[in-house]
Amino acid sequence: MDAAEQEIFIEGHPCVVVDSVQMRYRVPSTAADEVDGEQAGPRFLRRAVRKPNMVTVHALNELSLVVERGESVGIIGRNGSGKSTLMKIICGQSKPTAGAVYASSTPIMLGVNAALVQDLSGDQNVILGCLAMGMSRAEVDAKFSSIVELSGLEKSIHLPMKSYSSGMSSRLRFAIAASVDPEILLVDEALNTGDAQFADRSKLRMAELREQAGCVFLVSHSLDTIKDMCTRAVWLDKGDLIMDGDPDGAIRAYQDFTRHLSKGNNISATKILDDAKAGLVATEVRGRSSRRSRG
Amino acid sequence: MSADSAIDPEPVAVRPLSVDMRRLTRVGSRPSFLDYLVQLWDFRQFIFYDARARVQSGTRRDRLGSAWLILNPIFNGLTYYLIFGLLLKTSRGIENFVGYLVVGIFVFQFSSGAITSGARSIRSNKSVVQAFNFPRAALPIGANLRELLSAVPLLLAMLLIVVVLPPAEKITWLWLLIVPAILLQSLFNLGVGLILARIISRVHDVTHLLPFATRAWMYCSAIFYTYDRFINNPEMLTAIKLNPLFNVIDIIRDCVLYARVPQWQSWAILAAWALGALAVGLVYFWKGEESYGRG
Repeated sequence: MDAAEQEIFIEGHPCVVVDSVQMRYRVPSTAADEVDGEQAGPRFLRRAVRKPNMVTVHALNELSLVVERGESVGIIGRNGSGKSTLMKIICGQSKPTAGAVYASSTPIMLGVNAALVQDLSGDQNVILGCLAMGMSRAEVDAKFSSIVELSGLEKSIHLPMKSYSSGMSSRLRFAIAASVDPEILLVDEALNTGDAQFADRSKLRMAELREQAGCVFLVSHSLDTIKDMCTRAVWLDKGDLIMDGDPDGAIRAYQDFTRHLSKGNNISATKILDDAKAGLVATEVRGRSSRRSRG
Repeated sequence: MSADSAIDPEPVAVRPLSVDMRRLTRVGSRPSFLDYLVQLWDFRQFIFYDARARVQSGTRRDRLGSAWLILNPIFNGLTYYLIFGLLLKTSRGIENFVGYLVVGIFVFQFSSGAITSGARSIRSNKSVVQAFNFPRAALPIGANLRELLSAVPLLLAMLLIVVVLPPAEKITWLWLLIVPAILLQSLFNLGVGLILARIISRVHDVTHLLPFATRAWMYCSAIFYTYDRFINNPEMLTAIKLNPLFNVIDIIRDCVLYARVPQWQSWAILAAWALGALAVGLVYFWKGEESYGRG
C-alpha cells in the first residue's frame, strides 16, 4: 500500500479538520448490579450515598476527517451510529472526550434544537436568539420580518413560547437558526419536523443556505437527498467510521447492508460491513503552521 | 439482531494528511482574557436585551404582576418588625428602627437576589448555552443587570417608606450617594455570582446550600440589631465591619436616615470587596469557559 506511507499535502486552507475525535459518556444504567457486598456501613447509608450503576457508552470511536472548501459531506448510518454526536462535536455543542475540531469559522448547526426561553414571547425569542448568534440590533431588525415569515407563526409570534405546540416552537427555532448565512453549515434533517407547508418553505431556505455555504455537513435519512446534494459520504456504524468516499459507492454499500439486515441475514450484513471497513483508508491529521513549518 | 463487526478496530490503512492549520481555530476554544472581555463588549446588546425582556416576564404569572417586586420586601420587613422589633425588642437603642430595618432588608434582598440568580444563570439557561455560541459570562452579567433594573423601583419604594413613615426623614443631597453605593454593591454581586455560577455548573448540589448561606450572611449583617451588640466581642465586631453588605447598608443608612456623611473606611472596604470580587469572578469564570453547558 503506497498510499498508506505517503504523506499527502493539502494545498490551501481546509474548512473543517476533525482530529482524532472520540466521544464517551458515563451514564447510569438501570441494569441490576450484583457486586459491592464488601463495603462497610449500614445498608441504608450505602444506598443513600451510592451512585447508580454507571456504564460507559462509546458514542464515537476515534475518527479524523479533513473537509475542504466546496465539499458537502453527507453522513449516513443507522440510528445510534453516532451521526448526531459527530455533528454536535463539530459545531461545538459537546466537547469530545479526546481530540479536537478545528474550523475556519464558527460552524452553525441548522436543526430544530436551538432551544429558547419559554417565558418570553416568540418575537422576544427571535431578537434574543439573533443577538446570541452575534448579530447587531440593526441586523436583527432588518431580518425580523423574514424570520417571522419563515416560521409561519403570524400573530402567535407575540404569545409566550410556552403556549406553542411542539411543531410551532420547532418552526420558530429553525427560522431563527436559518437567519444567518454561515460559512460552515451543519444540517441535521433527522430532527426536522413540521407540516407539509412548512417543509416546503424550510427546504427552500436550506437549499439557499447550502448554496451559499463554504462547506456543508448533512445528516439525512433520505439517501436520495444525500446523493443529490453531497460530494462525499461518510458511513458510520456504532461509532465506527466504515466508509469515507464518493456518495454513490458509500450509499450502495449502505443500502446493501441495510437490505441484508432487514431480511435477517446478519452474517452477510456483517460481511458487507467488514468488507467496507477493510477498504477504508483512515485519515491521520498532521498539522503544519507557519511556526513549525514542514515545508 | 446484532451486526457487530468482528474485525479489530484498528483501520487497515492510514493516510497521513498534512494540513495547513494557520487559519483554523479550535471549535469552542476559550479566547485570551482580553479577547474575552472584547467579546463580552460585542455582545452588550444581547446582555441588555436579555436583562430587560426578563424583568418584564418575571412576575407575569402573578395577578398583581410587578407589584410583587415591592410587596415582597415590604412583607418581609413587616415580619421582621413583628419578630425582632416587637417580640424580641432588638430595636433598643436604635433611632428610627423602622427605617433602619427597611433599609437593611431592601438592600440585603437586592444582593441575595442578584447573587442567587447570577449563580443559577448558567444552569437555568442551559438550553440557550447549548444552542448558541456567545461568551458565557454574558448570562451572569445579564442576570445581574436584570436585578439592578428591578431594584430601581424597589429602592424608590424604600425611600418613599423612609420619607412617609414617622419619624419622617428629610431629603438631603446625601441621598445621591446611594447611587455609587448601589453600583459598587452590584459589582460585588456580579463577582460572587460569577464564582458561584462556575461552581454550580460543575457541582449542582451547591444550589441547595445557597439559601442557608445567604440566611447566615443576613444575620451577620446587622439588619435588625446594631453592631454595638458585639462591642465586647472584638472578633465578631471586626467580622461585621469587614462584611461588604454591612458596609453598603451602613452607608445608605447614614445617608438616608441619619443625614451624616458615611465614613471613608466604609467606602474603602466596599470598593475593595467589589473590585476584588469582580476581578476574581471574571478570571475564575473565564477559566471554565469551555465547560459550560457541555457533557
